[in-house]
Amino acid sequence: MSETETYEIRIQGRLAERWSSWFDGMEIAAADDGSTLIRGEVADQAALHGLIQKVRDLGLPLLSVTHTRTGATP
Amino acid sequence: MTSAPLLQTKLYPPRVTRELVERPRLAERLGARPAVLLVSAPAGFGKSTLLAQSLLGGSPRPDRPAVAWLSLDSGDSDPSSYWAYVLAALRTAAPGLGASAQALLESPGGAPVTTVLTSVINDLAGSDEDVVLVLDDYHVVHAPVIHEAMAFLVDHLPPQLRLVIATRSDPPLPLARLRARGELAEVRAADLRFTEPETAAYFAGMGLQLSAAEVSTLEGRTEGWVAALQLAALSLQGREDLAGFIDGFAGDDRHVVDYLVEEVVHRQPEEVRDFLLRTSVLSRLSGPLTDAVTGRTDGRAMLEALDRDNLFLLPLDDQRRWYRYHHLFADMLQARLLDERPGEARELHRRASAWFEEQGDTTAAVEHALAASDVDRAAGLVEAALPAMTKERRESQLRRWMEPLPDDVYARRPVLANGYVGALMSTGETSGVEPRLRLAEEWVKAAQALPEGESPPGLLAAHPVQWQRLPGWVRIHRAGLALMAGDVGATIEGCRDALAVLPPDDNLGFGAATALMGLASWRHGDLATAESAYSETIRRFGLEGYVADILGCTVTLADLQLTMGRLRDAERTYRNALDLAERQPAGPPRGTPDMHVGLCLLHLEHGDLGAAKEHLRLAQELGEHLGLPKHPHRWRIAEADVRESEGDLVGALTMLDEAERVYDLDFSPDVRPVTAMRARVWIKQGRPEQALAWAARQGVAVTDEPDYLREFEHVTLARALVSAGDHTAAGFLERLLTAAEADGRHGIALEILVLLALARQREGDSGAAMAALSRALDLGEPEGYVRIFTGEGPAMAPLLTAAARRGVAPSYAARLTGSTGHVRPEPARRDAMVDPLSDRELDVLRLLASELSGPDIARHLVVSLNTVRTHTKNIYAKLGVGSRREAVRRADELGLLRR
Repeated sequence: MSETETYEIRIQGRLAERWSSWFDGMEIAAADDGSTLIRGEVADQAALHGLIQKVRDLGLPLLSVTHTRTGATP
Repeated sequence: MTSAPLLQTKLYPPRVTRELVERPRLAERLGARPAVLLVSAPAGFGKSTLLAQSLLGGSPRPDRPAVAWLSLDSGDSDPSSYWAYVLAALRTAAPGLGASAQALLESPGGAPVTTVLTSVINDLAGSDEDVVLVLDDYHVVHAPVIHEAMAFLVDHLPPQLRLVIATRSDPPLPLARLRARGELAEVRAADLRFTEPETAAYFAGMGLQLSAAEVSTLEGRTEGWVAALQLAALSLQGREDLAGFIDGFAGDDRHVVDYLVEEVVHRQPEEVRDFLLRTSVLSRLSGPLTDAVTGRTDGRAMLEALDRDNLFLLPLDDQRRWYRYHHLFADMLQARLLDERPGEARELHRRASAWFEEQGDTTAAVEHALAASDVDRAAGLVEAALPAMTKERRESQLRRWMEPLPDDVYARRPVLANGYVGALMSTGETSGVEPRLRLAEEWVKAAQALPEGESPPGLLAAHPVQWQRLPGWVRIHRAGLALMAGDVGATIEGCRDALAVLPPDDNLGFGAATALMGLASWRHGDLATAESAYSETIRRFGLEGYVADILGCTVTLADLQLTMGRLRDAERTYRNALDLAERQPAGPPRGTPDMHVGLCLLHLEHGDLGAAKEHLRLAQELGEHLGLPKHPHRWRIAEADVRESEGDLVGALTMLDEAERVYDLDFSPDVRPVTAMRARVWIKQGRPEQALAWAARQGVAVTDEPDYLREFEHVTLARALVSAGDHTAAGFLERLLTAAEADGRHGIALEILVLLALARQREGDSGAAMAALSRALDLGEPEGYVRIFTGEGPAMAPLLTAAARRGVAPSYAARLTGSTGHVRPEPARRDAMVDPLSDRELDVLRLLASELSGPDIARHLVVSLNTVRTHTKNIYAKLGVGSRREAVRRADELGLLRR
């Protein structure tokens, strides 16, 4: 059993839902204000930084990173 | 063969494209030529293009610096790979540059990066050519050790080298400091964005007739992002309804590049689309590789067509054999592949891995196997690469590959498990070692139960030889763990076990086991075993060409021989190693100055201060950076010793303070602590009470049991007692003598006997004094000891005279008396050379006798000018001359110019 964390990465602009597999299966959701949320569980800090790097590599402006929940998965 | 041949494609600068838009504000910033230029912006902002245009574009001017271009990729986060590529890039700019750095980097055993860099910096500083080093895509580098070394390089940049870093995120380098010093110029995203007039000029240059409003719309939607502008231009070309496209584009809020890639890819015929998606998993593409991955046969033609159509394909060589997609484009394609054809990426990576394996490119084969999550394939490849990777000291790369492999892979691959143990331990890591080592041990045990030559069922081993060597290596690693835990007994036992089972041809195994054995025996005070172990280590490493390791073991071996009173053997040990070092074609390897420091100390014992100082100077000329970890400390100890011999006791104390500051004995036991050396100088200064206070503070007392590791301190205390006229001195010395003699430490026994003679003389017991001295002379004469007697000052003279009168080693005693009481050294020999010239130095000397200039000589010998300068300096020093003409004359007198 290991602890996992749920994070929400908010980026400026719209990203199509099909980018989900590129972001390791994270959920891609359009927010009302025109921004996009990339949301899901990450294994650890290294994985989170990996995601942020992917955002950077696409040239997407990063608006915020929010920690939403600590959960446990078996 | 190396495990990872350098990819020339990474050293190929991007082609310079026609400049569609003049951007004077950027040209100005780039023209300032600062020490460091940072181009920091997201993907697709035109960083590489800008740099290529400004550094390589236009007509060549004579003052334009040579450009060393390196496109980094994810594998370059491994320090050894990173620096190998940096050196290779520098060589493309200035052939011959960094040759000795290259040798240092490749030497088995390796050298610290600062050593390698210092060598490069020196080369550059001695050259009159300006070089710009471009590190493109620096953001892929994540290893802190690389950033640290880069900070070192930045801090020591010679004026001949400028550094250009292109990256998507600011590197962790001391940027603020550079900014403050005015040595940093920056080009950032805001600078690179195309303004509206630039956007207009760009589309006009592409032959697209757009209205001002349309340009404004495109500029607003792309925010001047050049990758988006390029894609937009591609989409617009050949389109009837420009306005319709622009409206649709402007009215969509999707990621701008994503939207445009979709547009561009959609307009391609199906076979092109398929090709783009499938090959998007490749970080570089060639016809044969893409054929292997797509299962088609049109790879080369496809690549040529994509290149022609400007579809974000960059050539990586002049022959158009290798290409890569623009990173941003590749990412966009790969995201589509993952979404539209789930699962296919793994198969594509697997095919790429197989193709690279066939080509002998282990690195790429492993990376693709890992990307395919094919851990069995990755494990087999890594295991097969273990010997070469270990020899090249690429343990951190190995660790990066091995960390993602799951436990069940190791469970069937004991050689791999053991390799992981080795990679961890060599980087000082013990966590994670135990379970893997135990696993390997269990396989070894299972094999033992079987008849010879039969393997346990289920065993996977890439190399039968590695499997045969495994029993020895698991024992070596077990012994190494014991030594790290401080268990000397278990270490020695483990080494014996290892030596008993190693196959006779496993030189590295024998070398490693005997080195461990030597170190443990030394700590244990068993010098005879330590000596024979280290001698064997040196022999075995010699068979494998591990020169740097040999030089390291040499220092220890000579120390042991010195302790055992075998001055001449110690000298031979250093001489052999120095010869070996000087025979290295790429210049002096790491550890060479250490040999000179050792010879300095030996010459001091022989009373030859001139030669001692000469070796110290040679060590200094080679440079501290070439020394082993212990070198800075040992060099200062030797300098203090020289000063003491010259009678400069205050200077000696200052130098000892410095030695203490740079203390690093690199796992060797500290058998000669600096505090004790300092106490000895105080005694010489006539302040024994201060030395006695030191002993009290350290808890060193005459009631102590003799103990090898504290022997130096004990003898120091005895020295203070003798000097203070304390009557307990003689009894203490007798006990120390018994212990030293029992374990064969005759070098220490010699010193004790000299002190004992002085102590007995003070007590008025001339008979006992003479008996001690005569034993000392017996030990000292065959080995040529001088200072141990003469360094005792005026009190020694009457004793030596009396000994000579009584016929005890009369000529030796008389010779010693000649220099007793004076700190004046024996005059340095002028008739013969202190130090013979090496073969390479003779080569240089013969060329010095010609009309050739320095640079001509360098070209003739295919070495850098700096190397020639170093040789020349050494030649001058050895010949005792100050100019080329004098050197040639002196060489002629000595008959050195005759072949």
